[in-house]
Amino acid sequence: MSRTFGEYVRERREELREEDARFSVRQVAARIGVEPSYLSKVERGEQPPPSEATIAALAKELGEAPEVLLAMAGKVPSDLLGIIRRRPRLFSDLLRQLQDLPDHALLRLVREVRDGEW
Amino acid sequence: MIEIANDSLVFRFPEVDRRAKFRVTFQRTLRIPDDGRDYPLPPGLGAFPLRHVDDFAERVPRPWLARGGVMLPMYQSEAMWLSFDADHIADRGVAWPFAVKIAAGKIDAVTGKGWSEGLGRAPQDYLVAPVQPWLDGFCVEKGIIRQFVAMPLGGGYTAEEQITGKGEFGGIQILVRPMRKEAFERRFPKLDRRYDSMAVGSVEECCACAPAMDMGLGAGGRMRQEIYDDPYDLADWDAAQGSRCFVHLANSLVWRAVTGDEPPTVPPTAKEYTRHGLPWFEYYADASAVEGSKILAELESVLAIGRKKGQVPLPENEPVDPANVVLLRKGLKKGQVREGRF
Repeated sequence: MSRTFGEYVRERREELREEDARFSVRQVAARIGVEPSYLSKVERGEQPPPSEATIAALAKELGEAPEVLLAMAGKVPSDLLGIIRRRPRLFSDLLRQLQDLPDHALLRLVREVRDGEW
Repeated sequence: MIEIANDSLVFRFPEVDRRAKFRVTFQRTLRIPDDGRDYPLPPGLGAFPLRHVDDFAERVPRPWLARGGVMLPMYQSEAMWLSFDADHIADRGVAWPFAVKIAAGKIDAVTGKGWSEGLGRAPQDYLVAPVQPWLDGFCVEKGIIRQFVAMPLGGGYTAEEQITGKGEFGGIQILVRPMRKEAFERRFPKLDRRYDSMAVGSVEECCACAPAMDMGLGAGGRMRQEIYDDPYDLADWDAAQGSRCFVHLANSLVWRAVTGDEPPTVPPTAKEYTRHGLPWFEYYADASAVEGSKILAELESVLAIGRKKGQVPLPENEPVDPANVVLLRKGLKKGQVREGRF
């Protein structure tokens, strides 16, 4: 991962700002409820990434998936953390085993209808 | 891969393309009279509920678990039709095409032959969706089907028991094969953006012992419905990709015991429905139809078998005269509102 969280947010925000002035640092900061100087520092990497709630608000503003921004910030969504905490060994093992599976194989793990012997 | 979503079976083929997605819904409907007349299409009264058999592993019969798949509740002598649907792909102006095999008790509903997983062309033993928007029964003549009617396995009423002499499987079996990606890209090149919005592509889709809890499908009344010829080449279908599903038909009382849920209410009779002036449907598409199956043409209907046995398997079988028949057409002009079947 070459880009940091801050760089990614800045790039994405600037992209949107080219089309729409509402994506200035000042206005985005106001909409997600932080100080413009704070957001600016986060973008420059002078401050660590904000809280999960703020990242989620930022993701919504920028049209990104919250999971992606959280992952870039080195955070795990709290609901996932809850799932792992309830059965830490099982889920840690499971995730390690799944890490190299291609997407289509992972998709098969959702509630698939099981075929049997007819 | 197959999932249940909103009481539909959703078949997806991410290995082929993320847009290759197909839905089958099992529609409740009224039973058309079995009186020798050819009836128009009855309405859809909503989807039968679908459940994974694995979710009720302790209460369903053992063979159901071995076969896997899903289950739905039906009353004895209740009718159903299968609705097929695929998402419209805007930049191609069509939905992804699928070859779909439908069998009842492992008897192919189009040819009357035993279950096989290949696609046969002479005679064609599958449907092509979305060319074919639905299937209401066994293809007994060109342009005529006999309605699917649920009967307990073991009574000799089902198509399976008549053709094989055994009531071994019951239920409905479905196999779906997508069109190969190369064939799709070749046949449906990207549209000029201007035409995107013009195309209309997506059509209209207890006790673990007693055999009595298993239902199969027998042949009900006659209905006008064509099974369309495959307009594509056999090689266009992806022989390497296919998903199949066993759909178990649970007697409604058994359903309550197994799932704890109430089955849907009993559908109205054809007479009640027609008396209230509610609509029946006729569907026309500009496509050729397959010949009927000789095997299926010889099927005795549930009513005929009942008469021989001195039983009355189909209560309320009086003829009706559908006066309100709504015409459904495929290939509408731009801006024309498509009327569905409901």
